[in-house]
Amino acid sequence: MGLSRRRFVATVGAGATLGSAGCVGNDGSTAGSSTASTVTDRNDGSKPPTADSRLHLDYEIETLEENIVSGGVRKDGIPAIDDPTFADTPPEGLAPDDPVFGVARDGEAKAYPQYILVHHEIVNDTIAGDAVAVTYCPLTGTAQGFERGPVEFGVSGRLVNSNLTMYDRGTDSWWPQMLATAITGPLTDESLREFRVTWTTWDRWSSAYPETTALTEDTGFQRRYGVDPYGQYNEKRGYYSSTRTLFEPLHGDSRAHPKAVVIGTRTETGALAFDKEALLRQRVLTGRIDDTPYVAVADTDLETGYAYANPESLSVTASDDGYTIGGTAYDADSLPMDRALSFDAMWFAWAGFYPESAYVS
Amino acid sequence: MSADSPTDRVGVAPSIQRLVRNTVVAVSGALSRRDGQASLGVSGLAYYLLYLAGLGHLGFGPAGYEVSVVSNPLIHAFRQVGPFQWEPIALVVVGQVELLVAPLNMLLGAVLASLVGLNLAVSVVAWRGPAACRLGPGAGAVSGLPGLLSGVACCGPTILLVVGVQASAGLLSLFQWLLPLTVVTLFGTLLWVGSRVETP
Repeated sequence: MGLSRRRFVATVGAGATLGSAGCVGNDGSTAGSSTASTVTDRNDGSKPPTADSRLHLDYEIETLEENIVSGGVRKDGIPAIDDPTFADTPPEGLAPDDPVFGVARDGEAKAYPQYILVHHEIVNDTIAGDAVAVTYCPLTGTAQGFERGPVEFGVSGRLVNSNLTMYDRGTDSWWPQMLATAITGPLTDESLREFRVTWTTWDRWSSAYPETTALTEDTGFQRRYGVDPYGQYNEKRGYYSSTRTLFEPLHGDSRAHPKAVVIGTRTETGALAFDKEALLRQRVLTGRIDDTPYVAVADTDLETGYAYANPESLSVTASDDGYTIGGTAYDADSLPMDRALSFDAMWFAWAGFYPESAYVS
Repeated sequence: MSADSPTDRVGVAPSIQRLVRNTVVAVSGALSRRDGQASLGVSGLAYYLLYLAGLGHLGFGPAGYEVSVVSNPLIHAFRQVGPFQWEPIALVVVGQVELLVAPLNMLLGAVLASLVGLNLAVSVVAWRGPAACRLGPGAGAVSGLPGLLSGVACCGPTILLVVGVQASAGLLSLFQWLLPLTVVTLFGTLLWVGSRVETP
């Protein structure tokens, strides 16, 4: 038998400390695993902060609502982590090449391992004093961050276009994660405020942010965290590489492999997808949303990409020390343009929600 | 045949009583034999392990030894996460074997496993020695099927990934009914066996 990766009977009762210490969230709201059975009852009318304008949708709200399907679990059947704990060292189950979702805000960096989030999908957290939700949908391969204000988000148990449909515990409005827009409930037609979540590996994230902390397996729930019910990412297998989808997409599109990863961006007027593999290879790709030119550049350290609105059609060229615009070098994440929020997604999911989106490869 | 006298000459209640009595006789007869006991034990245990593995509560993982329990286990134990699925309250790791302990699912699995085991025990005995325990020879032909059915029921939509079938609203609704259907079917086959038993 190999070396044990687990502590011997070390965690009996550990959850009790967590539960009793963490029942009140940093935003003052009642939270915690100890109240897990009643989370759906906490509908106090509080609202998450919403954006000034609604994000673009390729469908009518009613059409999206009609396409809500059961994911086979109850509301909160997949329990969000409401009292996350973090450590300076990575969890024992996290290999250097395993995917993590990294967030860096106001000098604080956190990593959320995919292998933990696949069992919870939502982490109601506080980063640098801001109440946020870091969310992950395994079926669409999307990790996104939202401001949550005084409320928490939970997993509704429903899906749209295979995508996690969150509900806010203030108004019980339902928010398909990728759309970031409520399609049922009092906040229907409003969009959440989002922030960047970077899909990368632990090795790359911890190199870029040595001071980062990482989410631990002390979630308040018992799960077999070593087991991903859908497949495996470190050497892609199962659902993550198969051409099959679990649910029929809203719209089929054969321009790319259904599980090809795109870096997608959407604004108030439209959507645009860059093939991630092509971006990492070519380093600069360009496209358009309506008449506005966009440019995407690769961050080779984190193996991710950023999209920028480029209305002046500035020439961006890759160089050894980043990207050059008008003779000046810039890092990938700080070109002198308006950066558009972008995130990784499986192509079938992106094309399903945004069939009119351009696909740049 | 099972009836000593025409059915229409007796009431419903006596018929049910006879059915239950005959079933008890059939089960008792099967369990009085070593092959019946072995069938119950082996098939029941196999089904129980299959049920827990299908739920994702039993399987292999990194080697180690651990027992960890959630806070407020009573609250978690009764928190339903899906159709006939409840929240695990503990994780037990022994070597490479991992077991999530969800008490209500373990109880439900035990009931299902017992029913599957009893069905198969009666069937095996009927097949091997119908004359000795006076069971009709066709008793067990159907009894194995519900076990397979409930094996699928416990796995939920993730089984669709394995078989490569796309989920639909109808299919997911069906999953919610598979387990109760299985219980009814297992009881039904046991009673059907009873109806085939000749009693003094």
